[in-house]
Amino acid sequence: MSEQLRTEVRSWLENNVPAGWREAMTGCDQDAFVAAQRDWFFKLVEAGYATPHWPERWPGGGRSLAEQKIIYEEVARADAPRLILYFVALYHAACTLMECGSADQQQRFLPGILKGDVWCQGFSEPNAGSDLASLRTRAERRGDVYVINGQKTWSTMAQYADRCLLLARTSSDGRPQAGITYFLMDMRSKGVSVRPISQITGDDEFAEIFLDDVEIPVEDRVGEEGQGWAVAQATLASERGLTLVELTQRMRHSLGRIGEVMRARGCADDPVLRAAFGRLIPQVHAACALADGYLQKRISGEEVVGDASIVKLYYARTLREFVRLGQQISGLDGQTMEEFTRGGSQETGNWAVDFMNSYNWSIAGGSDEIQRNIIAERMLQMPREPRDWRWQKGA
Amino acid sequence: MSELLTELTDSTRSVLDSLGPGTAEETIWTQVVDLGWLLAGVPESLDGLGLGPAAVCVIQQELGRSLSAARYPAATLVIDALVAAGESPLLERLPLLLTEALATAPLVPPDIEISDDGRLSGTVRAVWSVDRASDILVWTNSDVLLVPTSAGALKARPTWDETRRLFDITFTDVNIDSGWRLAQGAAAETLVCRIETLRDFLLAADAIGGATAALESTVNYLTERKQFGRPLALFQALKHRCADLKAHIAAAEALFADTLNQAESGFGQPQAALLAREAKLLATAAYTEAAEEAVQLHGGIGMTAEHPCHLYLKRAQLNEHLGRRRVSDELELATCQFS
Ligand SMILES: Cc1cc2nc3c(=O)[nH]c(=O)nc-3n(C[C@H](O)[C@H](O)[C@H](O)COP(=O)(O)OP(=O)(O)OC[C@H]3O[C@@H](n4cnc5c(N)ncnc54)[C@H](O)[C@@H]3O)c2cc1C
Repeated sequence: MSEQLRTEVRSWLENNVPAGWREAMTGCDQDAFVAAQRDWFFKLVEAGYATPHWPERWPGGGRSLAEQKIIYEEVARADAPRLILYFVALYHAACTLMECGSADQQQRFLPGILKGDVWCQGFSEPNAGSDLASLRTRAERRGDVYVINGQKTWSTMAQYADRCLLLARTSSDGRPQAGITYFLMDMRSKGVSVRPISQITGDDEFAEIFLDDVEIPVEDRVGEEGQGWAVAQATLASERGLTLVELTQRMRHSLGRIGEVMRARGCADDPVLRAAFGRLIPQVHAACALADGYLQKRISGEEVVGDASIVKLYYARTLREFVRLGQQISGLDGQTMEEFTRGGSQETGNWAVDFMNSYNWSIAGGSDEIQRNIIAERMLQMPREPRDWRWQKGA
Repeated sequence: MSELLTELTDSTRSVLDSLGPGTAEETIWTQVVDLGWLLAGVPESLDGLGLGPAAVCVIQQELGRSLSAARYPAATLVIDALVAAGESPLLERLPLLLTEALATAPLVPPDIEISDDGRLSGTVRAVWSVDRASDILVWTNSDVLLVPTSAGALKARPTWDETRRLFDITFTDVNIDSGWRLAQGAAAETLVCRIETLRDFLLAADAIGGATAALESTVNYLTERKQFGRPLALFQALKHRCADLKAHIAAAEALFADTLNQAESGFGQPQAALLAREAKLLATAAYTEAAEEAVQLHGGIGMTAEHPCHLYLKRAQLNEHLGRRRVSDELELATCQFS
């Protein structure tokens, strides 16, 4: 049964992965990238391979865990483009809606995702990054709407988004978490403006969102007022299971790329580089095993606090080692500013850019340091940092 | 550090600070020339300041700290080679070089060959601002030449490090004019050793300057930035990361000073080149570590083009690949232990 699915997916991918997509996506502008992502997304949706993690009543949904894994392994093996533009829609938005959305909200928004609505995540603010609970964007109830004022930042692909998963403060009483409410915001609402931020790669894949008296209908609130923090946890958890299976599988398949570059550069026999390669291999395989094991635990309900942090931290560290080796083997020529490939995995072979992008995984979605805090304090039960502190600069 | 060198550090830094970050190459270059920084290593007998390689490195450390676009290492390599080569018709060009420094040098070993009938072929990679230079210093194991750049074909080598403008220059069957020759045979071997030694010390100095600045900027940011109702600098985990960087940089600095001190008496000897390579390896590693950590510890803002973190990262990563030969430096250092 599973072998049959594997054969099916493999042959579908052979016939459908756009030929030469890497070349086409290298040095192209963002609009061409968006168009290509759309085409690939619709193909995958039609074949039922974009939504294996959705419930059975949705097209493509209802796949067992083993089947989902097979699909991701094959996608990685075929080196198909990643659905970066739809990442938030397919995972964060969909999982949040299914877990915490009302039946009405599911009916209103999930079909739109399958029709290509792009979603972005509006959680972080200039002064609320790791300390998300301190966010200050305000939502004030006025009759049937909430009126939103504030600023979001680092929102991936916000400039292309139709909708936004938004956290805003409805109350300042009690614990900071208690006053947060979760909204589904239409990015075309009056008062929303987006400014793309230029990144160190020269790309501008994230953006600031300014919110000036934006009205959101009450029916687009997820959960009750003040329950946003719990809903946000569901959103964040969604990127931790399957996504890391996909990413670690892609990393495993990219090991071959290291070998290729070493051969091409005539350094395949360099003992220093070979040994470094040898050190990386078990780490990559371990990252795959951790991601697989974690997914099993999640499905069987055996997950404990800290498990997800270990997978993300280990993946981020291993990815950094991977791209570091890529830079090392590509030598001086690897420092040449070359046009980068959009929609590739984290290991596109443009190692300088891959290195810069590896920070996505060590900073975003709970940084390495935050994962370490969770492992130490909540898994290993070590005491938290003291709440009280006193310090004066220069004293 | 001697009092003189400390003074030199301070005065160089104050000039660079007053110019501010991102100063255009030609603006900073005018200052380098006008302030006599090119004279630092030139002996007094040739109207220089006679401060030796240590002073040259102090200046580069400050230039590295400010991520400067000035091709000081490249120009210095030419000047030093001319002086070290001793009496030659080329020495007459020194005064011009010191006032305009229209010559440059590659930052990796040149990949060139000289045929039996005296023709030069091959590509010299990673040459700083060669488009603005009249001459370029090139070498093989048995020849050191100052070749007019017009004899070669230029190709830009745009790297991620936008603070330095590098090029490749290719020579095809170029008839060597005897007036280009600085040294030949055994004398060339010594001179090559000297060039590569100074280059590696200059790269180490650049790295130490940059690493120090990246760490300073990180410490300042962590002290200013508040999360969880307190400055990030209050988290011991982050303090320890900065402390490790400080120790790594201090070790690189100590090794740099010590190796330079040991090498100074015999700059043309193979032993000096090995010492310089050690200093460069540790300093460039400290720089990449400091720059990588700077991005991580700045969080999202460290990934934006408008924040300078990435400039350190890119310069540090390029430095790791400069001065490298085909065989891994690490392997060569280890191999020396067995011979
Ligand atoms: C590529 C990218 C894409 C992103 N996409 C999105 C998006 O789509 N939507 C969205 O809402 N956000 C997004 N983010 C934001 C991301 O979630 C934040 O950058 C992250 O939470 C860190 O916050 P910060 O950048 O403010 O860093 P800070 O929180 O200021 O952290 C700075 C440094 O301090 C460390 N630190 C912080 N607190 C502690 C502590 N208690 N103990 C030890 N160390 C600590 C951090 O790990 C980091 O190294 C994205 C970020 C990146 C880099």
